[in-house]
Amino acid sequence: MLPTGVLFETYSAEAGLLKTARARVAVAALVLALLAAPLATGAYLQGVATHMFITLIAVYGLHVTVGMAGQINIAQSAFVGVGAFATARLSEFGLPFFIVVPVAALVTGAVSVVFALPAARVKGFYLALTTFAAQVLFPIIVLGLPTSWLGGLVGLAVEPLTVAGRPMNTPTHMYYFTLALTLIASYAAFNLHRSRFGRALKAVRDNDVAAEVMGIDVLRHKIMAFFVGSMFAGVAGSCMAWVLQFVTVESFTLFTSVWYLGMLIVGGAYSPIGAILGVAFITLVQEGLHELGTAILRSGAQEAGGAIFAATNIALGACILIALIFEPRGLAHRWQVLKTGLQLWPFPHR
Amino acid sequence: MTRPAPLAAGISAAAAAGRRAPVLHAEALQLRFGAVAALRDVSLSVAENEIHAIIGPNGAGKSSLLNCLSGFYRPQSGRVYFDGEDITQLRPHRRAAAGLGRTFQGIQTYPSMTARENILTGFHNRMRTGVFGALVWWGRVRAEEEAFTAKAEEIIEFLELEELRHAVVGDLSYGLRKRVDLGRAMALEPRILIMDEPMAGMNPEEKGDLARFILDIRDANRIPVVLVEHDMEVVMDISDTVTVLDFGEVIAVGTPREVRENEAVIAAYLGTE
Ligand SMILES: Nc1ncnc2c1ncn2[C@@H]1O[C@H](COP(=O)(O)OP(=O)(O)OP(=O)(O)O)[C@@H](O)[C@H]1O
Ligand SMILES: [Mg+2]
Repeated sequence: MLPTGVLFETYSAEAGLLKTARARVAVAALVLALLAAPLATGAYLQGVATHMFITLIAVYGLHVTVGMAGQINIAQSAFVGVGAFATARLSEFGLPFFIVVPVAALVTGAVSVVFALPAARVKGFYLALTTFAAQVLFPIIVLGLPTSWLGGLVGLAVEPLTVAGRPMNTPTHMYYFTLALTLIASYAAFNLHRSRFGRALKAVRDNDVAAEVMGIDVLRHKIMAFFVGSMFAGVAGSCMAWVLQFVTVESFTLFTSVWYLGMLIVGGAYSPIGAILGVAFITLVQEGLHELGTAILRSGAQEAGGAIFAATNIALGACILIALIFEPRGLAHRWQVLKTGLQLWPFPHR
Repeated sequence: MTRPAPLAAGISAAAAAGRRAPVLHAEALQLRFGAVAALRDVSLSVAENEIHAIIGPNGAGKSSLLNCLSGFYRPQSGRVYFDGEDITQLRPHRRAAAGLGRTFQGIQTYPSMTARENILTGFHNRMRTGVFGALVWWGRVRAEEEAFTAKAEEIIEFLELEELRHAVVGDLSYGLRKRVDLGRAMALEPRILIMDEPMAGMNPEEKGDLARFILDIRDANRIPVVLVEHDMEVVMDISDTVTVLDFGEVIAVGTPREVRENEAVIAAYLGTE
């Protein structure tokens, strides 16, 4: 809900993403802080942030397929992989990034449709199984193809990213590059929600029987949900390829797919805010525990340090379970409650 | 949207109904579920501008008939014609695009969306924005969204839902959700409105409101309305033609008065109540 005193002259203004001056200031401040961050951080933290941005783009895509359209997908990491391999091959032609990224996104979307065609006809467990098959098939197919295609076991080297003729080869460069793509992806993800397409996906999720009778082609929209969700994965894959400079199937595992889902669940699957909060939260916990483990190791307590590393996945798994049991709407819902509380303060009435 | 006529008795049009060209025509529909014959040789003609009630005891096949009309069930044999076109093979969403508006038995709204979003989904086939427009949100997309929001607001005003436009539909009362369901069907800008037990579970006041909305929609848009209803008082009050189903068969068709006096109907249905 909105604070009082906010009035709209047009429905477009009402549909705006940042409806109040306060929201605009807050987002502007956040973007400025992200732009300035490299001045105060070293290569390690910039690398962590870069990785977080890439993860966020992939989770935005998962949010479209799973959150908006209600189609479970445990192959998002494989689709990121498709984008990365596509980028590696495209980079050989010396194409500029603003061609490579959209083409990689489209290629990834197209590949996902191959799997979505059968997947969209089944529900629940069988859908999960079909996407699981996509994840399992990914390395089998890459390794099975002639090595001259996708490099087989060795993988593919990626031609370095250049922007305006200059090579982007430092962590700071990659930080800014992925930040820019993350901002664009964020805008797109929020746009989906207020659009005809987004409403149709949500209609399919809420009640597919009614949606079909009300004129929405349910099958087509389920497939499109995979297509769009995988385009985000493709963009994330492009970033990943340039950051890693070398792509192999090992970077795109079922484990990562499950983590993407976990982040979406912890944050809240129903809004892009959930993707942001989930990715930020899990990354913070991961990094926090990692720091803690390293510190303990340095102090000489080998076993305690090792235990922390082993416990990281248990702790993160516990986060997902707690979210599922106590707040299925995720951190995004908590955030909404908090925000409404602040807007109403000090008068606790609507 | 204007509301020209108040709650009218609505019986005057009945006499003429039989002579007008049918908008929707179902012919010899047969529908079986395993051993159960839900529809046996059912035919139905809905004339322009009429309110056509379908009544019958529980399990008579009323919902099955509506589902065959809207394409959700495929009859094993028989045909459905809409505006002279054979639509028997069309999938439900294509029929909706062709102008068949539908409301459901029970609650079939989209619970996580607001009342206005529910209604906006009804415009799906009138809007053009595709996937890329949705992602980029360029000027034309914005303009389309503005225009259709204004249209949705007309429906919201008509159904007196102004206070609830941003309310999440899952939180609304039964009667209000049914009203949102009707609003969504109106957004299809249908050329016929098909309603399955729109008043079931409503209190008399809500029923009165809905009866008024149904008559107003018919009068304002000049479209026929097909409705399944158990409340005999409402049926006799607002319908021009009544079709009576029993065990999957049509046992009577006529004006409310004719049907009320029909012996087979009294025996099969009214008599047993
Ligand atoms: N999907 C289905 N699968 C199996 N049987 C069905 C199905 N739909 C309807 N039937 C059966 O077909 C018959 C007619 O059902 P239908 O729902 O059309 O009745 P109805 O007249 O709408 O009843 P009610 O007044 O209870 O809504 C019933 O015997 C019902 O059990
Ligand atoms: Mg029924």
